[in-house]
Amino acid sequence: MNLTLRTLLHAVFGTALLVSVAHAQEGALSARDLAAQLSNIIQDGSSVVRLKMDISKPSGGGKTVLQIQVKSQRTKSATDLVYQVLWPKDRKGESFLLHKSGGRAPGGAVFTPPDSLVPLTAARMTDGIFGSDLSYDDLAENFFAWGNQAIVGTETVDRVPCQILESKPGKGDGTSYVKVRSWIDIKRMVTLRVEKYAASGKLAKRIDTTRVSKDDTGRTIGSSFSLQRTGQDSVTEIEGSNSKHGMTFPATDFTPEALRTLK
Amino acid sequence: MVTLVGMASGYEKGIGKQLDAVGIDVVVSNMSGGIMPKTFDESLQEKVAALPRVAETTTVLMRMMSVEDAPIMMISGREWGGFIWDQMKVLEGRMLKDGSEKAVVLGTLAAELLRKKVGDTVQIEVEELPVVGIVDGRSMVENGTIFLSLQVMQEISGEEGKINFLDIRVPPNTSKAEIDQLCKDIKVIFPEGRAMVANEVVGTSQGFRVVRAMSWSTSLLAIIVGVLGVMNTMLMTVFERTHEIGILLAVGWRRRRIVYMVLCESALLGLLGGIVGVVLGVLGLITLGASPGIRGFLEPDINPKLMLIAIAIAVVVGVISGLYPAWRSSRLTPSLALQN
Repeated sequence: MNLTLRTLLHAVFGTALLVSVAHAQEGALSARDLAAQLSNIIQDGSSVVRLKMDISKPSGGGKTVLQIQVKSQRTKSATDLVYQVLWPKDRKGESFLLHKSGGRAPGGAVFTPPDSLVPLTAARMTDGIFGSDLSYDDLAENFFAWGNQAIVGTETVDRVPCQILESKPGKGDGTSYVKVRSWIDIKRMVTLRVEKYAASGKLAKRIDTTRVSKDDTGRTIGSSFSLQRTGQDSVTEIEGSNSKHGMTFPATDFTPEALRTLK
Repeated sequence: MVTLVGMASGYEKGIGKQLDAVGIDVVVSNMSGGIMPKTFDESLQEKVAALPRVAETTTVLMRMMSVEDAPIMMISGREWGGFIWDQMKVLEGRMLKDGSEKAVVLGTLAAELLRKKVGDTVQIEVEELPVVGIVDGRSMVENGTIFLSLQVMQEISGEEGKINFLDIRVPPNTSKAEIDQLCKDIKVIFPEGRAMVANEVVGTSQGFRVVRAMSWSTSLLAIIVGVLGVMNTMLMTVFERTHEIGILLAVGWRRRRIVYMVLCESALLGLLGGIVGVVLGVLGLITLGASPGIRGFLEPDINPKLMLIAIAIAVVVGVISGLYPAWRSSRLTPSLALQN
């Protein structure tokens, strides 16, 4: 073997070795650590986010477009969310409040203009918000904080190598799902796909991240999503267009009465 | 190549045209955030206005967000009375009355995209603002924008006292060196930001560089594929014409002349391919420019220089692709070629 060829082979094997070492280091993150990191990312304090939600129902329902304002306060111990429809005019002001703290079941209130304010009961948690495929419990639960986490494989999603994290609820993690699988882009710490499985073991819902971008804090986040429920022909597309973190909200903003005003 | 580079170049030119139309000489921003810069305190305006060689300053808070059922578009909150309002020509309705009027004027394309006319309302954040006018902004980017006063924009977006652009006009006949000095002076009082000569904004922005690099690198891949394709075609031609080349060599053609002949054919193939490619590229550009996601945002740049470059590259690709087949054909032995 001549010297040039040998040098080339060394270079190739050397590079391959480096790549595999780097890959091994990336993969070294345990499932629990990975889930904890992702859980911390979700608990991002106080923020206001603007969303455009497209709900397509091919079988006769047509397409609904909503502009939504989301106010949130997420900490390790509690999550408070207020979703308010800004547009279209005929639905402006429709809103809901969602609160979850510790291991307690989530609760809240739903407001429909001009004057209907009803409590958000446990029975309604699996309903879609504003008629979409995204349910209240999808928003309230943080499956990265569930008791059982495991990395069950790797897969490439949209040409991005991902680790598949499987989260199973422990005792007290009240949820209607038996497991949730998330495809995590480890380099950017972004979830590119989520699959939620019902008690029957069948896939109940799939959420794909369709766009990744940087938020106002410079963090890389999923900013557009597509949601589909198994057995339903509707698709919900969510497109985030603006976010502001580090907000200070008065405590009254997260009360049922606050839903009556849009601000 | 024509389509990709034309789109990227159109994007750059659109922004350049916008700055020209508005008459901005220097732009101050904090571009570290990518395409849309980070906000900073509007008090910077006072400090910059006090610098020598600054004739006028004005401030802008710009956001890109989806509005109603339209895709993401630009919303520009501009300091009322600032010089950047001057270039707008009211086509319908009227201009804002003052900086506190809670209303918007729409660029022509923005009005078309949102399907709005004077008297309608536009929902921006939690506010429903009346459309009081439709304006010609004199550039594609301006025409695709929703305009309102800076004060109202800051109020409805909860960014009181914040801006993300400070635009500067310098006195006429200010030299390039003086403008560069001004940019350095601004850097001293605004270290986290950057002051750039307006026509250099596009060239120095990280976002634009990425767009340009991506369009050229994709084009380069297409060129490499093109080289392989033409080389394959020319090799096939040489193989099929072995007998003919043998006769030419037998009747006294020099090897150099055979090489020249193959290279000429290859270059001609490149030229014809280039012309057809440019025509298809221009059609692609026109189609892309008219597509819903791009219309109003990007004005495809169909420029003769790019077309000539594309054709020249195609000819060079043709010649390079013909080198190996030409060498192969010149190495033929007349007797063996004739037997073939």
